[in-house]
Amino acid sequence: MALFVRPSALRSSLPRDLIAACTISLNSRHFSVLNRPPPNYPGHVPLTFIERAGLAVGSAVISLANPYRGDLIAALGEATATPYFIYRLRDAMLASPTGRRILRDRPRITSQTLSMTYLRSLPPNTVGRVYADWLDREGVSPDTRESVKYIDDEECAYVMQRYRECHDFFHALTGLPVMVEGEVALKAFEFANTLLPMTGLSMFAVTRLKPAERKRFFTIYGPWAIRNGLGAQEVINVYWEEQLERDVEDLRAELGIEKPVDLRDIRKRERARKKAEKEAKERSGDSLGVN
Amino acid sequence: MKIPSTSLSTRQLGGYVCSGCTRQLRRQRRSYATSTVNPDLYDVVCVGGGPAGLSLLAALRSQPATANLKIALVESQRLDATRNFQLPPTQFSNRCSSLTPSSVRFLEQVGAWQHVDQKRVQSYEEMQVWDGVTGARIEFDWPAEKRGQTIAYMNENLNLTSGLLKRIDELGGVEVLDGQKVEDIALGSETEDFDLSSWPVVSLSGGRKLAARLLVGADGANSPVRAFAGIGSRGWDYERHGVVATLQMEGPGWGGESKIAYQRFLPTGPVAMLPLPGDYSTLVWSTTPALAAHLKTLSPKDFIAMVNAAFRLSPVDLAYMHTQSDGQADELAWRSQHTNFDQHRIPQQVIGVQEGSIASFPLKLRHADTYIGERVALVGDAAHTIHPLAGQGLNQGQGDVESLANTIQYAVTHGQDIGVRMSLEPYNAERYAANNMLLGVVDKLHKLYAVESGPIVPLRSIGLRAVNALGPVKQFFMDQAAGTGVKIL
Repeated sequence: MALFVRPSALRSSLPRDLIAACTISLNSRHFSVLNRPPPNYPGHVPLTFIERAGLAVGSAVISLANPYRGDLIAALGEATATPYFIYRLRDAMLASPTGRRILRDRPRITSQTLSMTYLRSLPPNTVGRVYADWLDREGVSPDTRESVKYIDDEECAYVMQRYRECHDFFHALTGLPVMVEGEVALKAFEFANTLLPMTGLSMFAVTRLKPAERKRFFTIYGPWAIRNGLGAQEVINVYWEEQLERDVEDLRAELGIEKPVDLRDIRKRERARKKAEKEAKERSGDSLGVN
Repeated sequence: MKIPSTSLSTRQLGGYVCSGCTRQLRRQRRSYATSTVNPDLYDVVCVGGGPAGLSLLAALRSQPATANLKIALVESQRLDATRNFQLPPTQFSNRCSSLTPSSVRFLEQVGAWQHVDQKRVQSYEEMQVWDGVTGARIEFDWPAEKRGQTIAYMNENLNLTSGLLKRIDELGGVEVLDGQKVEDIALGSETEDFDLSSWPVVSLSGGRKLAARLLVGADGANSPVRAFAGIGSRGWDYERHGVVATLQMEGPGWGGESKIAYQRFLPTGPVAMLPLPGDYSTLVWSTTPALAAHLKTLSPKDFIAMVNAAFRLSPVDLAYMHTQSDGQADELAWRSQHTNFDQHRIPQQVIGVQEGSIASFPLKLRHADTYIGERVALVGDAAHTIHPLAGQGLNQGQGDVESLANTIQYAVTHGQDIGVRMSLEPYNAERYAANNMLLGVVDKLHKLYAVESGPIVPLRSIGLRAVNALGPVKQFFMDQAAGTGVKIL
């Protein structure tokens, strides 16, 4: 009796339900471009699946051509963060007491919330001072961060924002500079640590590096990034605002991050060596010419 | 049925000596021997006065063919408290079970259901089951032509046993030996009057000895009767505890008159909220022993928050809240704002927990190698223990009892000895495979949903959604769960 098939019910409800059941829903909200739903949070732009895919491809291609388009890299990050990755990162935060506190307080890192004069007044070995020194050395400001637009979940949008604002602290902690070579190394570290697809896609920028830089990436910074990114704790769970006065070595040890060789130093030495070689060559050339 | 002593004495010495002479010999020898207590002879001795044992006795006494059997019930607890079970309508015992319509039909047949306090029984017509990791959901509601049909009845175990005892008292004829522990079960000996060497003799702490033509073990998972019969029991512990509690809800439920049962599969185990009359519900939350112990240490406010969270928040949030010693209520208030759930498809808010109702018990799977031995039959938990996620434990016991009662009736009406293995064989044949299949299915469900990540998770969600969409398949499962579907085994 139980297996008695009711054909009428089958015909009417089966196909739609079955298709719905067997489709892994990528985006729970389906809408047309003409009926865009209201934003979930200020600044939110709801996208359809096709729009999201287009944004991902477009921003990836153009930012590869021009790695200084930070806005497009940000858009790429948002377009590729769903369906899985940003939720994983949010869950990683929710699993840690500090991460939960961050999600609850939702602190923002800007030049208003972090006073540069205060940071510069800290002792040289503190996290805050290292951060301020790094900003000064690289000539950047914490206010250059785009706000998140394309992530539908309001809490995940904050997670993305937080990751973006912490990015400079990761720079400061590892001492990696903002030039393409430094960024690629840091993105590799972030990919191993946060699993955000954009950081992984940024690895394509390796193709744009000069041969010597590429060799450095594959021999020094790449292996460092993978070892540290996988071995370290989730760096998204650091409440930077509370760590400013802490000893930076202490924090690195707690997180399990080794500071890589200073990239600017290597480049400087390399340049000096090349220059010396060139001079030596010229000198030998001169001497040859004399003989 | 009186035991015909002539037939016994004929058997003890076979056909070698005439029965008259043997009797004479025995009588002479007796005058020299120290006097030992002769066991009282019974047709059926049932050890264990739980739902299974009591329903068996009620069934035997209510069938005309078996009503004249000489029956004794042995129970270590006093039964007066159970018999006079009474609680105000705002209080419920924390040990509740679901009774399927087929179990209720059997209890009605036996005449016991009429003695169960119906104001304390709650039927439910719909079931919402979902995956805590992915949210995939299956909604067990009947198609239009069968709408309003009961899936199962929630009932306090004490209400059931009390009704059964009242029915047994009404029928009379059962010698109830309560408050007496079983000290020993051994085979009887040969006396000049009869040969009890194949009969189990139960020695009670009160000094009584009962020899049983058929000894029924309804004495729970650690059954002494099963141990006596040398029947092994196999299975494993789930490393999980079931936390139970009686909860007060904010209202009578979303369905109003028609009640809904809820179950959410969390990676630590399923958590179920089952309706009781009025604004009350009973909780069964299977979780790891450490988490169960932690839940029991929480303040009522935080315990309530944890229960509400168990049906609402993500497993990540729950795992964190399990590490907190207090403050779960605050955490729930915050996380509820950031978690999507359709509040009409989950239970209403819990607002109170009945004092002293939070308890836990270990979950395990056990299955006896066989349900019968020479002059021994096992029913209920003595035969099998199941994970509670499908609410089938008590119903399996009722199924056993119905089958055993029919088997005994058949033996009596066909002039067989009710205790011998051959008479009991139909009972084992009818129940063993069916129980084994149910134990296996429930065990696999538990294991399937204990997986937290990996390819199994999306696959099981697709499977659940597909079953939800395929009306006839869902109907099949519902009929099986209600015990009204086709018999597969």
